[in-house]
Amino acid sequence: MDDLYIKPGNQERGWNDPPQFSYGLQTARGPHRNLLNKRAAPGVGAPPPTPPSSNPLSPPPRGVTPPPLHPARPPLGCVATPPPPLGPMRSQRPADSSQSESEPDVERVVSVLNRALAACRQTVKDQVCSDVAKRLRLLEDSWRSGRLSLPVRRRMDTLSLALQSGQWDSADEIHRSLMVDHVTEVSQWMVGVKRLIAETRKLNPELLEPLQKPADPDQVPAEPDQVPVDPDQVHAGPDQVPVGPDQVPVDPDQVHAGPDQVPVGPDQVPVDPDQVHAGPDQVPAGPDQVPVGPDQVQD
Amino acid sequence: MATYQEFIQQNEDRDGVRFSWNLWPSSRLEATRLVVPVSCLFTPLKERPDLPPVQYEPVLCSRANCKAVLNPLCQVDFRAKIWACNFCFQRNPFPPSYAGISEVNQPAELMPQFSTIEYIVQRGPTPPLIFLYVVDTCLEEEDLQALKESLQMSLSLLPPNALVGLITFGRMVQVHELSCEGIAKSYVFRGTKDLSSKQIQVGGDKGRPPQPENAGVFVFITRFLQPVHRVDMNLTDLLGELQRDPWPVPQGKRPLRSTGVALSVAVGLLEGTFPNTGARVMLFIGGPPTQGPGMVVGDELKTPIRSWHDIQKDNARHLKKATKYYEAMANRSAVNGHCIDIYACALDQTGLLEMKCLSNLTGGHIVMGDSFNTSLFKQTFQRVFSKDYNGDFRMAFGGVLEVKTSREVKVCGTIGPCVSLNAKGSCVSENEMGIGGTSQWKVCGINPSTTLALYFEVVNQHNAPVPQGGRGVIQFVTQYQHSNTQRRIRVTTIARNWADAQSQIQHIESSFDQEASAVLMARLGVFRAESEEGPDVLRWLDRQLIRLCQKFGQFNKDDPTSFKLSESLSLYPQFMFHLRRSPFLQVFNNSPDESSYYRHHFVRQDLTQSLIMIQPILYSYSFHGPPEPVLLDSSSILPDRILLMDTFFQLVIYHGETIAQWRKAGYQEMAEYENFKQLLLAPLDDAQEILQTRFPMPRYIDTEHGGSQARFLLSKVNPSQTHNNLYAWGQVLKHFKLSEIAGLGFAKL
Repeated sequence: MDDLYIKPGNQERGWNDPPQFSYGLQTARGPHRNLLNKRAAPGVGAPPPTPPSSNPLSPPPRGVTPPPLHPARPPLGCVATPPPPLGPMRSQRPADSSQSESEPDVERVVSVLNRALAACRQTVKDQVCSDVAKRLRLLEDSWRSGRLSLPVRRRMDTLSLALQSGQWDSADEIHRSLMVDHVTEVSQWMVGVKRLIAETRKLNPELLEPLQKPADPDQVPAEPDQVPVDPDQVHAGPDQVPVGPDQVPVDPDQVHAGPDQVPVGPDQVPVDPDQVHAGPDQVPAGPDQVPVGPDQVQD
Repeated sequence: MATYQEFIQQNEDRDGVRFSWNLWPSSRLEATRLVVPVSCLFTPLKERPDLPPVQYEPVLCSRANCKAVLNPLCQVDFRAKIWACNFCFQRNPFPPSYAGISEVNQPAELMPQFSTIEYIVQRGPTPPLIFLYVVDTCLEEEDLQALKESLQMSLSLLPPNALVGLITFGRMVQVHELSCEGIAKSYVFRGTKDLSSKQIQVGGDKGRPPQPENAGVFVFITRFLQPVHRVDMNLTDLLGELQRDPWPVPQGKRPLRSTGVALSVAVGLLEGTFPNTGARVMLFIGGPPTQGPGMVVGDELKTPIRSWHDIQKDNARHLKKATKYYEAMANRSAVNGHCIDIYACALDQTGLLEMKCLSNLTGGHIVMGDSFNTSLFKQTFQRVFSKDYNGDFRMAFGGVLEVKTSREVKVCGTIGPCVSLNAKGSCVSENEMGIGGTSQWKVCGINPSTTLALYFEVVNQHNAPVPQGGRGVIQFVTQYQHSNTQRRIRVTTIARNWADAQSQIQHIESSFDQEASAVLMARLGVFRAESEEGPDVLRWLDRQLIRLCQKFGQFNKDDPTSFKLSESLSLYPQFMFHLRRSPFLQVFNNSPDESSYYRHHFVRQDLTQSLIMIQPILYSYSFHGPPEPVLLDSSSILPDRILLMDTFFQLVIYHGETIAQWRKAGYQEMAEYENFKQLLLAPLDDAQEILQTRFPMPRYIDTEHGGSQARFLLSKVNPSQTHNNLYAWGQVLKHFKLSEIAGLGFAKL
């Protein structure tokens, strides 16, 4: 899922910089697990637990004893509190399905936004409209010249669908997620989209009719009820993950490899799976991994 | 109630209160003999998803110097429609709207489960929240770029109707006009001269036709503070175009940074326009103030910024003057009800020691990082705007906390991010602890985890009888502006039984909340450390611990192994041991800024977080079973374990020697060692859970046996195993005795 991921912190600029969580992960918290807040009580006067020398697993003088093979009790429950069966950070989605969604269509997205702007022109000040128009052109230019990464293009596609079907809250939420996760790419023009969402929300329903019509009859996805996005997910309620794990294709790069997930063969996954855990001594993602993550570009 | 532990937990969940003692000694003398004062940690705005606010105003006691709020502990005569105040015993008639009440039809505030209740006060329209950004432009290009983006991003997180303003500074201070039309304009102030609030308003109009007498305020509103939804496009561009301070910085010099004047302009601007309205000044700095009022260090690079050593030698030239300057400003801001955040990102010190009062007195945040282009800053900043289960911001403003006590108890003071409102009265003790001499405090910026420590005194005389069947009662009344701009009042009323310390000492002992007490004593220690010498504070803490152990411990004279503490005190010495070594009391190896930063967070977090700061949490992961908490002791470091340590400011994952070798050999990639892979992942998963919620974002350290970063773990554990291996746990108490005699602290690793 391209909006639920963790990327490494900036080790160049901050010592032991923590990993960075995407907006989706920060807002859509799974059921709260118990805090790790227990303390071992000292046995008064009792000696501390076994000293290292008595440890049966200590390595022999040369070489390393391998870890125990298939122990009688698999440490599946070895997270202090068992993880939720399908937490927001895990996805069971096989990698190949991510190919099933076609490349978002710039024409359609821009046309929706422009029609939304046209609908606003009657009520909103000219100056604001031309400012928004300027930013929409900026968006279009960036897209056409290939400066927008796939996650941004995909989310803009979803945003335009939400806007078209009048799901303002959801459109606004997607705008926020883009600002948080991809501010370098989107900050210059996103504020125009934000204004557009705010203005269309205030419009009379009649004025919105042209917006809700499909842009081009040939392009099926524009039909609001055939939208590949489940409307439920778009209404991002506080208790709901904005995008359900089952519905939206997964971006395998960024999926947190949960322990219950069998990793895909290494050649299929462009990233070192370690990357998701952003350990300081782990090398940040390889170039093919990054769908133009702003910060990684600067690294 | 089955156990005290359950009772304590239930009280914390319902009322946000944790008391040191849950049975109160019935006389002043007995109370002082218990060593730990009757005191509590109180979280005024603790999140209560199950508590919908009521839509009416509280009913107050009619006695002018009481005004306690009607609560479930009041005696009510339903027939006569009269209630008796449980603080002053005044009999009050119910207001006419309560005519319909009866035993079976009670208003919420009389029901026992509403010992905490929140009222929405209906008043006229309230102004929106205000966010004023004060931005240092003497930054490296990369940092400035990252900061600009974070600020642009924040415009999307603010409530759309919030007012925003922008002040930038370097050598000069610029107040930016945020109109949505025309060209960008700004007003420039010199950074060397302080300005009064009046001058700032006049200054803003310089070069303009004279304005009508009282138009000043209006001018400010329209020009400098604008609703986000109106100016977001222009402000985004304005931020995008911000340049580094254009004044050249000669070799061997620091850039000239007018932080003092910039803040003065910000505080003055809000003071003149929106006094007593929720507002946040957000100061972003990449270095110390170097000119004008409030300068912390000169611009000569060859003169380093003050260290603890300089301070001890009275060799910190600007310290007193700068501190005084910022304290005056903090107090002004507190009077206006505005809070000030400091986001300081630099590798060297930025002057937090001098400026900390800005946040500490107003309830603002301090965030300290290495660079604005780090995940630590970016995510911490995002979390300032986090929302609760209702979609409301987790921030509130202009809080006023008032404490009322029944007559056997008086309040000595509080320690937390607040200022005194100097409200004298019958519940105020003469014996001050923390910020005392008042029963009311102002907390300008407050959030659901903001926690105050409140200290009380039992004033009953020794020979007076235990108040018959009576209970001591304390009421907390918190008035504040909710982030949705409503005025609200939250009222918490608690009672505890009196106990005769001579005949019921065991009961009192088992009512001891050692976790709360450790934090409450630690706050007293940290409060003292701000004004006293470090060793004196440690000695004081040691003495308190020894007295407590003398009072409640069982031992045979001269036989250390015979020492025993009951279960309710068993962890307490351990907490004190780690507190003594913590950065809150030890300044060795920390800069003055770091010490200020750590203490800032320590005196405002809730019990759980404070306790993590005192004694870091250590969990051990192995093939032998589920993860388990282990002693924070070097004996817990074993070759076949992974350890996860949480110190609040750092998360450390430490791979034992064997684990590290296995990992290096790549066993986790082999299908038959899937279990090893799981073991490696488990602590990472748990760490993530912490990383996702902690504010501020902690540093994250993934290390292994022999790794240089293992020092973060080694410096925290009790060094029970050293080259000349000693004993283990028993020595903690011995150390205390030694240190008591010799006045020595523990050697730091």
